[in-house]
Amino acid sequence: MAAKEVSAGIFEITERGGKQLATINLVPSASVYGEKLIEIEGCEYRIWNPKRSKLAAMVIKKFNVPIKRDSKVLYLGAASGTTVSHVSDIVSDGIVYAVEFSQRTMRDLIGLCDVRSNIVPILADANRPQSYAHIVEEVDVIFQDVAQPNQSEIAAVNAKQFLKRDGHLLLSIKARSIDTVANPKKVFKEEVRKLENDFDVKFEVADSQELMPFHEDHLGVMARVRHV
Amino acid sequence: MKIITWFGTLTLDSDGKVVEWDLFPKDTDVLAERLIQPKEADMNIPPTGFDIRAAAIECGFVASNDEYDKLLRDVSIRAAKQQISSGTPDMGIIQAVEALDDIDETANTLSERLAEWYGMYFPEVGLSSEPLVRFVAKYGSRSNIPTDDRLYEKATSSMGAELTGLDEELVKGFAENICTLYDSRSRIEEYLVKSMETTAPNLVNIAGALIGARLVSMAGGLEKLARFPSSTIQVIGANRALFKHLRARAPSPKHGIIFNNPIIKNAPWWQRGKIARALAAKISLAVRMDVYSGELNESIKTELDAKIESIKAANPKPPKRENKNKNKGGKVKGKGQKQNTGGRR
Ligand SMILES: C[S@@+](CC[C@H](N)C(=O)[O-])C[C@H]1O[C@@H](n2cnc3c(N)ncnc32)[C@H](O)[C@@H]1O
Repeated sequence: MAAKEVSAGIFEITERGGKQLATINLVPSASVYGEKLIEIEGCEYRIWNPKRSKLAAMVIKKFNVPIKRDSKVLYLGAASGTTVSHVSDIVSDGIVYAVEFSQRTMRDLIGLCDVRSNIVPILADANRPQSYAHIVEEVDVIFQDVAQPNQSEIAAVNAKQFLKRDGHLLLSIKARSIDTVANPKKVFKEEVRKLENDFDVKFEVADSQELMPFHEDHLGVMARVRHV
Repeated sequence: MKIITWFGTLTLDSDGKVVEWDLFPKDTDVLAERLIQPKEADMNIPPTGFDIRAAAIECGFVASNDEYDKLLRDVSIRAAKQQISSGTPDMGIIQAVEALDDIDETANTLSERLAEWYGMYFPEVGLSSEPLVRFVAKYGSRSNIPTDDRLYEKATSSMGAELTGLDEELVKGFAENICTLYDSRSRIEEYLVKSMETTAPNLVNIAGALIGARLVSMAGGLEKLARFPSSTIQVIGANRALFKHLRARAPSPKHGIIFNNPIIKNAPWWQRGKIARALAAKISLAVRMDVYSGELNESIKTELDAKIESIKAANPKPPKRENKNKNKGGKVKGKGQKQNTGGRR
């Protein structure tokens, strides 16, 4: 068994010929959502399944993930914290602001925050960044997975308020939540166009790839703010 | 410019530098409370690019980055827990309305049982439901009824059997139990009135606290009610009539529970449909006001009153019905029919 760091804090574990993604467990011996724990050379890793996380799928698709050990991350659409927990592993010296608007899933997320010292839970609507602007500082990375029809707009208004000048946006676009019948490729193209042109903040898309076969009809996007 | 942050309010100069600050008490509970309700008049959110972490250290609110992280996390967790555990106040209202209905059903069944039971001993009593229950709980046997009681005469001349000993204890105890149900019912009503006044002041102002509570309950919450069109609000609670309408092409129901509002109840039958429509429209407006601003706005009520006045003025007399029934012989039908064809539909 061997672990190779493929991006800051993200490892590829080779075990009996198979490869799996993993992060170093910030809270040893605790599994968050039933994921497997593996110990290699005195270090405990949590297996990270790309089918359960768009960010993990983006890593496998060789996105140049800009999250570092000391990054500040604004995570929009935290749900019960499956992916948030891995981001929390990665930014062991940083902080994750986790925004979620469903009370039900917030309950699970709070449980996660209770045991992890670097997650700040925020029960709020990502459409209204002004409702958490008194809490969240400027961040290095915005990760967004909200599955809403106005995903690009949500990304833009949050980037405007919170993203550092040289910060990155990581976005998962779900075609079906924008248009249930249109051809996903068309939807993606249109969303990228919107990101580049339509809002106060104009993005420069650095990379975009579909997240198949892990997530059907999802586009992963990495972008930066274009400064003129 | 004055801005608000989770740890206090700051005054910035035109370069965005902090020149003055007013820090909140460094207490997790207080800060959590503030975090949830940051809205203060003429307060702004931090401008883009403003570093609230650096400001917190600069003002001396926290001594280090680590302390900042730790405190903010504790406060946010506390705030989030509070937000989800308090639920929304309308959840309490929904439960209370349903409890009222449960109590009514139970109290009904039990008081009917008591009526039958007590009828063995005092068939002439002539009371039912709550008055009967209170009466039995108070006196038990007929022989305890004092001379100044309205029922004294009837009690002395009753043909009923004597109620004594264990039987009296049982019957009286049974009535006392039902009394506690009625007491509980009035406490729930008091709670509803109070809680509706704080959660939905505009709805209370237009529809009344108890009818308002019922609307909230049937819609499944205040926000859901706010999303209903006023045509739906008008028929909430008229389900049975609505199904009949769909099945048997009976006239569509014009009034749901808002029909119980005195302004409709006390109006002559031919004005009721129009008033109900106006009332439903204003209820819909009031509920949205409650959801989005939460403050009482008297103008809705003023407008409603004016609207009702104009309906009354424009429809002083019952409409003639000859033309409607022309091909059926042109005669005015029975009284029950009037109710159904009254109003516009
Ligand atoms: C696809 S799930 C996210 C899954 C999560 N990123 C993970 O991998 O563990 C989308 C989440 O976004 C939340 N969401 C949707 N719209 C939102 C909004 N406007 N503000 C905040 N959260 C939102 C939903 O409640 C849901 O939990």
